[in-house]
Amino acid sequence: MNAEPNLPIPISYTAGSYFIFSIDAVTYLRREHHICGVLSGTLPQIPQQNVFLGLPLELMAEEARLLVEKGVACIVDEVNVQTDGMKALMEADRQRYLQELQAQGTQVMQMQASRKEQQREEALKKIEEKKAAQAAKKKASQPPPPPETPATDSTTKDDEAVVGLFAGDRKQQQQQGPDQSSSRRPSTAIASHAMGITPATSHSLLPLEPSAQHKLPLPAVPSSYPLFAHLHSEGYFLSPGLRFGCQYLAYPGDPLRFHSHFLVVSTGWHEELDLMEIIAGGRLGTGVKKGFLIGGADETTSDLESREADDVRTFSIEWAGM
Amino acid sequence: MTTKTPTKPPQPSALTNLIAASPSTSAPSDPLAASTLQILHNLQHQHLWTSLQTHEIELPVPKKDTPSSSASPPASSPATTTTTTTTTTTQYLISGIPPHHVYIHPDEQLYMLQRGLRETDIELERLFVLPAVQGQSWSLARLAAVFDSLPGGEGRPAASAAAGTDIEGSEGDKAAKLAEYYEYREKASLTKEWGGKRILLAMVDRMMGGDGTVVYYIVQEGAVKPRQN
Amino acid sequence: MADTDEAAIHMPSNDSAHIDTDLSDETQDFRMLNHLTFLTDGSQGNLPKRGEKDFEPNPTLFQADILSASRQAMHNALAYPRLHHPRNQVIGIYAPDGPAPPSVAQAPKQMDTVPEDNDTQPQQPEDTTATAGDADAGPPKAAGTEMGVPAESCVYVTNPKGQYFKTIGRADRWNRVWLLPEEALYLLERGSLDIRWPISSTGCSGESETADSGIPMSLQAAYACFLGHGGLNMERFSVYTGLRRLGYTLVRAPGWYDDADEGDCSAEDAQTQSRQGPGLAGVFGRFMQWLSDSPSCPVAGPLVGLGIHRSYDDIYRKLSIIPWHDPTAPRSESRPTSPPFRVVFHVYKPSTPFRKSAPPPADFRIAVVNARETAVPTLAQMSALLESTPLDPPKGVKMDRVLSLRLRQGYRSVILAVVDQGVVSYLRVADSAFGKEKLYKLQGPKPNQKRGPPRPRAKGR
Repeated sequence: MNAEPNLPIPISYTAGSYFIFSIDAVTYLRREHHICGVLSGTLPQIPQQNVFLGLPLELMAEEARLLVEKGVACIVDEVNVQTDGMKALMEADRQRYLQELQAQGTQVMQMQASRKEQQREEALKKIEEKKAAQAAKKKASQPPPPPETPATDSTTKDDEAVVGLFAGDRKQQQQQGPDQSSSRRPSTAIASHAMGITPATSHSLLPLEPSAQHKLPLPAVPSSYPLFAHLHSEGYFLSPGLRFGCQYLAYPGDPLRFHSHFLVVSTGWHEELDLMEIIAGGRLGTGVKKGFLIGGADETTSDLESREADDVRTFSIEWAGM
Repeated sequence: MTTKTPTKPPQPSALTNLIAASPSTSAPSDPLAASTLQILHNLQHQHLWTSLQTHEIELPVPKKDTPSSSASPPASSPATTTTTTTTTTTQYLISGIPPHHVYIHPDEQLYMLQRGLRETDIELERLFVLPAVQGQSWSLARLAAVFDSLPGGEGRPAASAAAGTDIEGSEGDKAAKLAEYYEYREKASLTKEWGGKRILLAMVDRMMGGDGTVVYYIVQEGAVKPRQN
Repeated sequence: MADTDEAAIHMPSNDSAHIDTDLSDETQDFRMLNHLTFLTDGSQGNLPKRGEKDFEPNPTLFQADILSASRQAMHNALAYPRLHHPRNQVIGIYAPDGPAPPSVAQAPKQMDTVPEDNDTQPQQPEDTTATAGDADAGPPKAAGTEMGVPAESCVYVTNPKGQYFKTIGRADRWNRVWLLPEEALYLLERGSLDIRWPISSTGCSGESETADSGIPMSLQAAYACFLGHGGLNMERFSVYTGLRRLGYTLVRAPGWYDDADEGDCSAEDAQTQSRQGPGLAGVFGRFMQWLSDSPSCPVAGPLVGLGIHRSYDDIYRKLSIIPWHDPTAPRSESRPTSPPFRVVFHVYKPSTPFRKSAPPPADFRIAVVNARETAVPTLAQMSALLESTPLDPPKGVKMDRVLSLRLRQGYRSVILAVVDQGVVSYLRVADSAFGKEKLYKLQGPKPNQKRGPPRPRAKGR
């Protein structure tokens, strides 16, 4: 999980949206740069729900812009990367890639098979234990030993093993390579017994470094960007604010663990501000135990050059309770 | 404290008195002045504030509006448009002392709790109120100008600490704690640990169908975390 | 406060108020997922409870540990692979140039890893019959194909097995099921479809006759290939997958295409209207209405002037001089809807029997709006949008009895899906007919009966 991806991280630009597909990049950006994005994909392990979502991570244009300005990421024209990359694919690459996938698929298959075997054994053991317990119960009224625990333990362990296979550092995986892993288990590695795999990224198929011709300029951002960047620089985690009818939600820490503190709305320095909006925002925020925060770039210094990058004024509003 | 309610019916209402007595408001037709008085009245008689004062500040008119609305500032306050470079408008502020603490920062609350101090132990402070009318045109620049005109930012007065200790002189321990609190508060006001400048935004509903209700919101400079109660 | 000391944090904060809130409202603590064992099949369905969150970070080790555990859990959940067991692997071939007949002399091919000859023919008879029926009956949605599949289709599946194909895709006469971009992307994303690059898209020499290069398309590539294709954008896709995941069936509505006229909706509408007042009875009724409504010329004199008033109803009727909007009144001409305020999806509840060849009337109609690009619709935009939906008057015993339910249901309704960077909010907007509810005709309220405030016209959900 603590893998450091190669910088700059490519952000895929497709049909007007910004995406990240690499799990290592997602955790790295969250951990090191407080960029969370919005998970918008279906989790294949539990696909029929909307509570926990999976890859890809959709980034706001503001997030993408911030990362590019920090030199952490670059924007990549994903459509052309894919089509050009596939066009440039040689037969040898294809073979190597397919072998790699097949080796992985075989490994997963074997892990699942061994786990099933284990489960079967445990089930048998449990039945025997049950019988023994019942027999013991007949003799003396002893409570039966707590069941199940070993079974669940082993499954989670196996889960982690499978996940680890895909989550692990990519370089390691490549070093390991198809030959090694397949030679390790030569007996059962038959083609039809490999799991098919849909990889999350195209990393092992296409060149890792995006070529210059596929790189795109800085993302266009809404006028709220200065406020976004300001709050981010103060350590807040920001996410889209639609659910509370504002522009951003500002979290004091990782949204995984903390409630948001502010409903954020950006406004222009001289833009007309309806006081009713302040009242409405303050009232809404207080109702959900959050503050309402308005702010924007201070344009008192008319000279764009001399203006500080962080010349942003913010105001927090709460119901006074009187 | 002027908690006494008018007992004799023929006496003019406090609001009427207020309007009559107010020095600067020869023009009650100015809706802002009128609503300022209304809010002042509301603070005094509904919320029992004391030592109420009104203040006038000059706010710069947004630059982009200058060519179009050059005619409007003279109409509202003809005497004050003296500056040649930027035009200004008059904004009223009210200040007063509330009967109890209107706002205590969550960390300040925690600090007090840890030292066994109660809200009532802390001396009440003068709070500034920004009166506003629904439909009035505001902007971030204007709000920032109001905050810039407020006193403070260089530490809340330590002089009050002495007064506080005198009152609580009977309990030496508490007095020490209070002194400690006031000392820390002064520091906190510099670091903005317990929030920066704050103001009470009072808005009166005078639009069509408005019933004259006044609502109060705490506005603070910077990102100040919300209270949790 | 949470950060007084470590002990305080161990106490679960008491926020029972949050229990009712929608779990998908905020970012969830992925640690909760650890309680699920993914690889054991059939354990889906019972989701973990909402995790407790703290108010703000503090420098305690305890908090740091939980955070790192949460991140680890999230990492593991997201790293979970999309696997296809050979037994039920479904393979789709990407066709970047749209639907095309199979290349010459192509027999059912043996794919790289799957022995699928025995799959195509005998398995799941109801699927194959349904899809075969589609090929004949299904009218082509858009011009450009004589194959009976939408022109925007870009993936075909030769072994369509699994429940999804009951509501997804369209078959051609070679028994291949063609998928629209959103359908292909959704199936790939949930790990139910293995999409392959065609050999023509790769630089590899085409020595083999197959169209399939055998190269599985990654999730990353799929987004690049399908998003932005045939009118699909991320907002529409978020709505599509979000509702699919909950079990709804979604099909494209005519409004999907910016240049399409919404002919079929008004046809539907005409049907419902003719059902309402047919034949002579209708004409007679309208005549009677005209008689009773005939003006008493309010300009000339008092509203309630001369005449015998036998009931309050007569008086009230004469007093009602303010015109009101009747959603059931036949429209002279329909206003054209303007994107994005037009229906792009027809949605069917999981319980609604759905046949691909003959989709029933939709349960819901959805317009998708990008929160960042679009302001609140004007009344004209909203009216046009509502008028493009069929008349659906409130009916049922409960509706007849309760006024507020009738008003909330309205006579036409549409759902606005507002999308902000992957976050979707759904609002239902209904055309309520306040004017049709003659309060004076209702029995006076019983003295002790509490009457709620009137409902707002558009009820947000």
